[in-house]
Amino acid sequence: MEQTRNQPSAGKFWSWFFPVGRQVGGWAFALNRLTALGLTLYLFIHLTALGLLAKGPDGYDNFLALTENPVIKLGEWAVVAAVFLHGFNGIRILLTSFGVGVTRQRQLFYGFMVVAVLVILIFTLRMYRVY
Amino acid sequence: MAEKWKITLRVHRQKENQEPHFDDFQMEVNPDEYVLDAVERAWAFHDRSLCFRHACHHSTCGACGMRVNGVEKLTCITLIRDVTHNGATLKVEPLRNFPVVSDLAVDMGPLYRKMERVNGRAVSPVTEAEIENPPSKWVPEDSEYLRLSDCIECGLCISACPIMATTPEYLGPAPLAAAQDQGLRRKPELLSIVDCEDGVWRCHSAFECTAVCPSFVDPARRIMNLRTQVVDMRLRKLFGKA
Amino acid sequence: MSQSTSSYVSAPRPGETSWIWLVKIITGPLLILVLILHMIVNHFVGSLPTGLMTYNDIVHYYQNPIIPAIEILFLITVVTHSLIGLRGIILDMNPSRPVLRVVTWFLSLLGVFAVGYGIWLVLTIASKGG
Repeated sequence: MEQTRNQPSAGKFWSWFFPVGRQVGGWAFALNRLTALGLTLYLFIHLTALGLLAKGPDGYDNFLALTENPVIKLGEWAVVAAVFLHGFNGIRILLTSFGVGVTRQRQLFYGFMVVAVLVILIFTLRMYRVY
Repeated sequence: MAEKWKITLRVHRQKENQEPHFDDFQMEVNPDEYVLDAVERAWAFHDRSLCFRHACHHSTCGACGMRVNGVEKLTCITLIRDVTHNGATLKVEPLRNFPVVSDLAVDMGPLYRKMERVNGRAVSPVTEAEIENPPSKWVPEDSEYLRLSDCIECGLCISACPIMATTPEYLGPAPLAAAQDQGLRRKPELLSIVDCEDGVWRCHSAFECTAVCPSFVDPARRIMNLRTQVVDMRLRKLFGKA
Repeated sequence: MSQSTSSYVSAPRPGETSWIWLVKIITGPLLILVLILHMIVNHFVGSLPTGLMTYNDIVHYYQNPIIPAIEILFLITVVTHSLIGLRGIILDMNPSRPVLRVVTWFLSLLGVFAVGYGIWLVLTIASKGG
C-alpha cells in the first residue's frame, strides 16, 4: 500500500510563499524570506555595479546617469523598504530566539511593522524631495 | 428548543485507489455542537464508509485533529458556531504532512516515532517540570509527585509548520518541545539529536505551531528556549565544563 | 498495517550545528549597525545634500583609512549573513547529502570570492586618490 499523498515533500518548499490559511507568524516568515531573497539579489548586483568604479570616472559617472531612470529609482526604493522590513523582523527573531517576547510575538510583529512603515514613509519623502 | 442550522459539510474523501475528492453532506446541526459531532453525523446518517479518528471527545487524547476551513483544530472542542454560519459550508480535511490512510484519518506514526526518539515523556516529576509557583526549595519526597505533560501528541503543530511540509526528516515542533521539556543539561544524550540541521535549527520562527496548539504546549517558545540550551551546552563543551 | 510509511523516519543529518546559527544571529544586529554607518556616511557626507555622488567624491572619501575598514567589515558581515541564509533556504528544498555538499562549497567559494573582490575594489579606489 503506497500512501504517498499528503506527505512532506521537497516540492512543498514553495508553500511558504503562499501562507494562505496561516496566521501572523507564517506571514512574517514569508515576508522575511522574500525580502532576504530580494536583498541577496541586490547585493550581488550592487557589488558588480561598483566594479565600474575601478574603470575610472567616465565609466562610473555614465553609470550614475542610469540611476536617474524612474524604474531604477523605484527599485532602489524597494531595496531600502526591504531592508527596513527585513531588519525589523530580524530584530524580532533575534529577540524571540533568546526568549524575549515570545508570548507576544504577534504584537512585536505588528509594532515593528508599524515602525518600519513609518520609517519607509519618511525615507520616501526624503528620497523624492532631495533627489 | 435548540437552535438549528442548515450547513453543508464538505469532507475530504480518499480511499486507497481513488483520487482524493470532496463529498458534500447537507445536514441540520445544533451550532453549539462540535465539528466532530457533525462529522459523526455524516458517518452515522449519510455514509458509513467515512473514516475518521476520535476517542475521548474532550481534548485529552489528541485523536480528532483535522483541518477545519483550512485551519488546524481539535474537532471535539471546536464549536460549529465558531467556524461557520447558518446556510454556509464547513470544510473538513485531514492534517497536512502526514500520509493519509483513509478520508480524514492520517498515519501518525512519523510523529510517534520522533517522540520516541527524543524519549518524550507523558509524566515528569514536579521537581523537573514547568509548574506555576514552585516552592523556593524542593524536598526529595516532592519528586514523587508527577506532572502530566501538556502535549497530547495530536499533530496539529506538525500540520501547521511550514518547514514540516518540506521534509519528513525534520523533528518538528512537538518532539522538539518534548526534548526541551526534559532539558539538555539533565539529558545530554539529546544534544546530538536536536543540534543538527533537521533538529532545532530547521525552525524558522513562523510560530504557526503555537498558534494551533490546543493544549498550551507553546512549542515555539520551547524551541526558542531549546536553541539557547543547545548553545549553552556547546559553549560548555567548548570550555570543558560538560 | 502498511510497511511503506515507516521508511522515511531516519536519523537526523549531523553537521548543521549551533555555530552556523550563532554566526547568523550575530551578523544580523552587527549588520544593522554597520549598515546604519554605511548609509549615513554615503548619503550625508560628501557634496550635501545628496551625499557621495560622483567618482571624485568617492575617491576623495576613501582616502580616510577608516572608510575602507568600515566598508570591508560591512562586506564581510553582509555576505556571510546573506549566504548562510541562502543555504538555509536551500536546505528547505531537502537536497540529498552530496548535493548539499556541492551547494555549501559553492556558496562558500562565492562568499570568499565576493569578499576578495570587494577588498580589492576598496583598496583600488583608495589608491586612486592623491
